Amino acid sequence: MREDIPQGTLDLLILRTLAGASDRPLHGFEIANAIESVSGRVFVVEEGSLYPALQRMLVQGWIAGEWGRTADNRRARYYHLTAAGRRQLERALKSYDRVRQAIAAILNPSPRGT
Amino acid sequence: MTGTFWRRLALLWSRNRATADLEEEMRLHRALRAEAMQRHGHPDPDAGAARRFGSSLRLTEESREAWGFGSADAAWQDIRYAARRLRQRPGFTASIVGILALGIGATTAMFSAVDAAMLRPLPFTRPEQLVVLNRLGIPFVRAGGPPRAPSFDITSAMAMRDVFSGVAAYASGGINLADAEHPRRLKAGVVTGNFFATIGVQAARGRTIAPADGEATASRVVLLSWELWQSALGGRDVIGTTIPLNEARYEVIGIMPRGFSFPSASDVWIPMSVPSTPATFEPFRGYLPSTVIARITAPLEVAEARMRDAWQRAVSNLPRSPGQKLGIDETLERVLSDGATQPLRSTLVADRKTALLVLLATTGVLLLIACANVTNLLLSYGASRARELAVRTVLGATRGRVLRQLLAESVLLSVGGAAVGVSIAPLVLGALRTVMPARLAGLAPVQLDLRVLAFASLLAVVTGILFGLWPAFGATRGSSVAAIKSGGGHGASASGTRRSQRVLVGAEIALAGVLLVGAGLMLRSFERLVAIDTGMQSASVATLEMSFQRAVRQETRIQRLAAILDELRRQPGIVAAGAVNDLPLRGGGGIGISVTVSGAPKSSENTYPRYLVATAGYFDAMGIALRQGRDFSSGDGTGSVAVISQSMARTYWPETDPVGRTFLFGGDGPPFTVIGVVDDVREAGMESEPGPQMYLPARTNLDANLAIVARGDGTMAKATLLAALTRAVRNVDPAQAVYNVRMMDDVIGASLAARRANTTLIALFGLLAVVIAVLGVYAVAANAVAQRSREFGIRAALGATRRDLLRHVGGEMVLVVAAGVAAGAAIAWGASRVMTGMVYGISVRDPGVFATVPLVLALAAMAATLVPARRAMRVEPVEVMREE
Repeated sequence: MREDIPQGTLDLLILRTLAGASDRPLHGFEIANAIESVSGRVFVVEEGSLYPALQRMLVQGWIAGEWGRTADNRRARYYHLTAAGRRQLERALKSYDRVRQAIAAILNPSPRGT
Repeated sequence: MTGTFWRRLALLWSRNRATADLEEEMRLHRALRAEAMQRHGHPDPDAGAARRFGSSLRLTEESREAWGFGSADAAWQDIRYAARRLRQRPGFTASIVGILALGIGATTAMFSAVDAAMLRPLPFTRPEQLVVLNRLGIPFVRAGGPPRAPSFDITSAMAMRDVFSGVAAYASGGINLADAEHPRRLKAGVVTGNFFATIGVQAARGRTIAPADGEATASRVVLLSWELWQSALGGRDVIGTTIPLNEARYEVIGIMPRGFSFPSASDVWIPMSVPSTPATFEPFRGYLPSTVIARITAPLEVAEARMRDAWQRAVSNLPRSPGQKLGIDETLERVLSDGATQPLRSTLVADRKTALLVLLATTGVLLLIACANVTNLLLSYGASRARELAVRTVLGATRGRVLRQLLAESVLLSVGGAAVGVSIAPLVLGALRTVMPARLAGLAPVQLDLRVLAFASLLAVVTGILFGLWPAFGATRGSSVAAIKSGGGHGASASGTRRSQRVLVGAEIALAGVLLVGAGLMLRSFERLVAIDTGMQSASVATLEMSFQRAVRQETRIQRLAAILDELRRQPGIVAAGAVNDLPLRGGGGIGISVTVSGAPKSSENTYPRYLVATAGYFDAMGIALRQGRDFSSGDGTGSVAVISQSMARTYWPETDPVGRTFLFGGDGPPFTVIGVVDDVREAGMESEPGPQMYLPARTNLDANLAIVARGDGTMAKATLLAALTRAVRNVDPAQAVYNVRMMDDVIGASLAARRANTTLIALFGLLAVVIAVLGVYAVAANAVAQRSREFGIRAALGATRRDLLRHVGGEMVLVVAAGVAAGAAIAWGASRVMTGMVYGISVRDPGVFATVPLVLALAAMAATLVPARRAMRVEPVEVMREE
């Protein structure tokens, strides 16, 4: 079963993907593939929606892009995380954790006081 | 956060580049995906990749939103979209911008004139504290003359220290900056020693005139205007040096700040003593009327009450024999009826206030008409766009967004109109300045500055919203489904649009009618004024003015004047020559002198016949008709004779023949015998009835100032005649300076300049208003015919004759035009009182004007409907049906 990516989560996925690639910058297609393979194909992005997200993050200063060449010598823009991007990823992961725990607590209430 | 802002700005700045980058990225992504799909054996990899990617167009749009500044960016998009739409319709855009430019340009120019004259503060310290003390005189003493009689004058006000912190006086006269070759006529402010302290203005260099300079024994000093210092003295360090004014040398004590020229555009200032003496006015060869001003320390009402009180007490305490009436009694009456004090600004602005406000209102109405017309055009445009707007609404644009886009269009149009308008405003202003330099120009120079530009921008935005809102609401109101179905232009909303248009065009006609009535009143007044009998036959009369130097003795002056006139009379083409001390209508302001005539009627009391000095031949040269008796002649010898005007004859000798009768100056001196009676001559202004006038012979009363007058026989070119006049003076004395060499008709023309300018402007605005309104009528009629061609086709098919159709279209417009014309006439009738003081010789409700204007307007408007109506007549039923 395929599901749409919840709004805002896409940013987190992109940041996480770029952080996971350690020092190697990725271009758009690589990011899309990475997200798809990591998410185990549960999330299928309307692939193009990656690009408005990238533009938003560029404006926010979380990522930076530089034009370079692919292995078969095609022009592509390679994105990497900035320092601000790293901080944002940490913040986002923390708040994601809090939300996840809160949801888990609601869905599986543990018996109180016993 | 600031980093985000700059990154956004950088992206917006390089929008095209960023968009290209984005598209390249997306292209690569789709290509790589397609290749990957092909490797997996996808049957149609390109289509598959495109489907997986999503709509590039929408995604690009979303990405751009990420760069944007939210609402500011949306507004920018609206404006770009509006600009694109307007570019697609250049004719439509140009006509709207043109109409608005006329309205905004005219209003802006008039605003700057009003701003300079009435809104900007006077260039003095705390100007609101300055008042004019009405009718307050300055005592005049003659060395060795009788001691001053007690009176109420400036010295009395100076003593009222509890209400006035300073009381000063100023007068204005002409003086020559003597230069061997080219003497220059300057305007001199003659001011009391405390004048500058009272108005609170300091010199830019050196010092201003101080109280010590006003002492009768002080040495001659002069203060220069910045502009004169720059133009005549090249801005050199001149303080402490002397300059020649008339024949005397004056020490320069200071330079006033740039732009300061009070009173009445002064180039130099020289001191006036209190009491004044013959020496005070000697440089001007005659008395100058002065104005007394004061700085009040109490509220205006208190100062007014105290002054009235002081006036009454002083006048009632004056010594007089029982029942004797003094000259000052009448002055007191005037003070009590008109007020003793008056704010300085209202005195300075008085005579131009009405004209300025009427002109500003006129341009404002013109702008309203322009707005109504533009609204109309936009309504027609909106009706034809109804379908497009409906489609956009259906595709998801909110009503707010569509409204915003329509408003963006109208504001863009009005800003364009304002830009063009402001660029033509200097032309209007230039015209204003050349035709009415002295009267309209306020103390602050009339100019286009930031205030005026701010005013124009405000006008642009307000007008843009004013004329844009109605059509925009109308266009977005209707049901989109109905609009799409109807194909636009035929539905119920179209008929609603036509109703709005008829209301607007009716309003335009009404407003144009109001302006046209104003224009009619001004034109009729002007017609009356130029047709007035001035008492002179001024055609082909040349004049020049000159002042004899002080060193030239009286006998020499008389000899030289005689020689100049003889030389002129010898010239072929000159039929008469003479001289007078003061040219009529020159705007100098003359002297009235009280005369005593035994047996004169009681009504002649308090009359001050105007004192004039003329040579034999003056009446012939000026074309002033001799009604009784004779002109001066060489046979008059030194006897005291006078020629009087008809008005003077009527005043003092209503029953008898005045020739041979005598009168006295004041109450003593030798009697003057009346030798002739001439026509009354307009002299203070074309609009004021001439009062009694008396001419004394130059032979015994020659003054230093005089004007030479020569009448050509009509065959001589003006330039030749004027050159002959100058040459005659130079031949007699090469060193004699002459000025104001001009035709008498130009003297008269100059006296009418302000009125001519007012009349021209109001007439022009009225004409423009009518043209715009008539265009509006045409547009509405044409629009109605175009939109209803189907209806007319059907009517024609059902048997309506062409005459029926004409009546149908015409009838609709007749109602609109009639309502507009009637409303306009009614408004003009009600508002006519504002024109009081601007009309001359006619009533502000002149029946001729009120009868003609509606007729002309109605005819013009009906003519404008005829063209489209004829088109309706020619509608071919078959073609209309086929179109559908």
